[in-house]
Amino acid sequence: MFDNPERLRLQSVAMERTLFLSGNEAIAHGAARAATTFACGYPGTPSTEILETVARLEGVHAEWCVNEKVALETAVGASRAGRRTLVTMKHVGLNVAADPLLTLTQTGVNAGLVIVSADDPNMNSSQNEQDSRNYAKFVKIPMLEPSDCQEAYDFMAEAFALSEEFDTPVLLRSTTRVSHGRGQVVPGVPIAFESPDYVKDVTKYLMVPQHARLRNRLVIERLQRLRARAEESSLNVLEAGTADFGIITSGISYAYAREAFPAAWFLKLGMSHPLPYHKVAQLYQHVSRVAVVEELDPFLEEQVRMLGLPVIGKEAIPANGELDQDVVFRALEPYLSRRAPRRRRPVFPPAPRIADVPPAPELPVRPPVLCAGCKHRSVFSALRRHKLAAMGDIGCYMLGADAPLSALDSSLCMGASIGIMAGFNKALGRKASVAVIGDSTFFHSGITPLISAYYNQVDGLVMILDNRTTAMTGHQGHPGSGVHPDLSEGPEIDIQKLCEGIGVRCVTVDAADYGALVAALKTEVDTPGLSVFVAQAPCALWVREDLGQVVVDEERCNLCGLCLDIGCPAIASGEDAVSITDACTGCALCIEVCRRGALSLAGSGAEDAR
Amino acid sequence: MSGVTTVSLVGVGGQGILLGAAIIAETASAAGLRVKTSEVHGMAQRGGTVVSTVRFGELVWSPVSRHADVVIATELLEGHRGLALLAPGGVLICATTTRISPGSVLRREQVYPEDLRAAADARGVRLIAVDAEALAREAGALRAVNVALLGAASAVMPFDAAAWQRGLVAAVPAKILEVNERAFALGRDVVHGEETRAP
Repeated sequence: MFDNPERLRLQSVAMERTLFLSGNEAIAHGAARAATTFACGYPGTPSTEILETVARLEGVHAEWCVNEKVALETAVGASRAGRRTLVTMKHVGLNVAADPLLTLTQTGVNAGLVIVSADDPNMNSSQNEQDSRNYAKFVKIPMLEPSDCQEAYDFMAEAFALSEEFDTPVLLRSTTRVSHGRGQVVPGVPIAFESPDYVKDVTKYLMVPQHARLRNRLVIERLQRLRARAEESSLNVLEAGTADFGIITSGISYAYAREAFPAAWFLKLGMSHPLPYHKVAQLYQHVSRVAVVEELDPFLEEQVRMLGLPVIGKEAIPANGELDQDVVFRALEPYLSRRAPRRRRPVFPPAPRIADVPPAPELPVRPPVLCAGCKHRSVFSALRRHKLAAMGDIGCYMLGADAPLSALDSSLCMGASIGIMAGFNKALGRKASVAVIGDSTFFHSGITPLISAYYNQVDGLVMILDNRTTAMTGHQGHPGSGVHPDLSEGPEIDIQKLCEGIGVRCVTVDAADYGALVAALKTEVDTPGLSVFVAQAPCALWVREDLGQVVVDEERCNLCGLCLDIGCPAIASGEDAVSITDACTGCALCIEVCRRGALSLAGSGAEDAR
Repeated sequence: MSGVTTVSLVGVGGQGILLGAAIIAETASAAGLRVKTSEVHGMAQRGGTVVSTVRFGELVWSPVSRHADVVIATELLEGHRGLALLAPGGVLICATTTRISPGSVLRREQVYPEDLRAAADARGVRLIAVDAEALAREAGALRAVNVALLGAASAVMPFDAAAWQRGLVAAVPAKILEVNERAFALGRDVVHGEETRAP
């Protein structure tokens, strides 16, 4: 390790006070200085060197993930495990990561989580031009935009502090000329950080509708508090000039505009979302002409216009491609000789109203439950024997999160369970969690994170609850069942073979065989490395088995509650003993968990496949 | 909003709430009215609360409403919950002998509410309590609880027998039409009997 020439070079430049770094290197050094210890991403110009650089810095674990969605989910796991985490990607990668991001805004973070998206105006190395700032508005999270290498370095500490104070992911947008420009960077003192513990909190991390509705209110409130912060933040600076001309700008455009119009006033936005409306209005108190200088979309301009203030924007500054000082000068210079617009008073938009959640009548709630006879209940029952966090996914097995099973910690978006588990376990250095995912969700987006976890040598366990259908939405076909919408049948993909083809150890068990399932699970938990555990049993709603009715020996039952703890809607608590309702299908899991032999199966009926 | 009638059907996943709503919608349509329906059924088969709304009248814009003129409840606890949708003068038709305990009640963490009559009186709501299970059994299929209740509800809705018949034929699969027609008739007769007995 010590003979790595690149590492030696970086250490030697760090000995001196001033560094000469690219913007991407500055982001990496800034992240490490801000106590980032976990970084992941997917390469893409102009973002790639951030992760390459941070990987060489002391104390940072860095990994390439299979794509940006998996990278963000892995970062979520690391953040929850208490590590300040950096995720890097290019602008089109942010599209791939949009699914977890749109729900991550609701869950927030544990330790700080910063997403760096590097935009590429003029498509120097990209298939499209897109302005990532729109995501900040869409997702309702703060956006920082450094304009040079020093800011790229300094803003990382600001970004992590904001992330933790406001419990939000933070977007930092770079562009080609920031990422791939070089400049002096004066390093700051390392920032001390105490890693927070992970605390299970399903109302924060498990986004089923009843939790997500409450978290979503917090997102809207948070945006208002962030806007107040943007008003007072030292990242947003009103710089006095001598001309009767002001420029609102952010990122690299600031450098161009500053060089083109040295006498102008500037509102320089380091935190460009949410926009500080009053700071904008303040600029108008000093000058009668204002322009917005920004690459790509009229992101700031539209908001300034919304305040009712006259502004020179995209009618002058090109809406495509890169700017530079000449383009900016030539675009704005003709406007300076025109008559100044009439002064107008700004109209500040009111804070949005947040709809009340109507109080429910004080009656017993009736949440959906895992069906009576669902064999996959046994997986949750077995999982409770191990002290492991369980990262769940999207599907009816989310119902395993509800009391009394309370078996899940998390649900974010389709396929996220595996990436979150990977980041969480990697960050903690042990098999601290398992992923729980259904067969259809696994095919949807569980395969890529499995590949990523295998490649990154994660110590983990992926539990696939295979009921051979997309049960939640009404039994639609998928590549594992081979069934098409017209109910014709095609090839079925074998999950075990698929996993083994990747190189992952895989064991398949019959979910109806509780003893075998418990033993196999213990083996997988105790065996180091990554493995997949497939529990197979067809959806109980589909098969509608009648295997008989469980009967209770009231002399033996002492109401210990073990059978009630499996959360079966066919088991009721009574005065002296439990009773079984006619919803019972005879699946017999309750018989397995009873330690007093109080339950037995009577009157086995015939199996009836519908 | 005048001129629009809102009927909400409430119950437990699997009780045929959506079919009930479809029958009312087809009936209103057969009666020459504009009709819109709305339902939330993502978890319908997992035993959660299911609510379906039917709105009909000369002109209907919105498919939803937080207030109902008539609530049809296929289960007692959901009947209690459905009271919140009704203003004084509203009508609640409830299968009061059908009780499906949610998990919290099965585990004795919460208590199943009993006296729906008192709760309805306190709210100024007219309660039509129906032993719909008995009627459905008499008709020949326990699953016809929803349609037996609908028969009872037909007594307070502005459609004639011919419109209801067209609604049933349009919405109910042919295989189970006959048993549902019997359940509907039994439900309607119960309420008409009660009406004639009432002072």
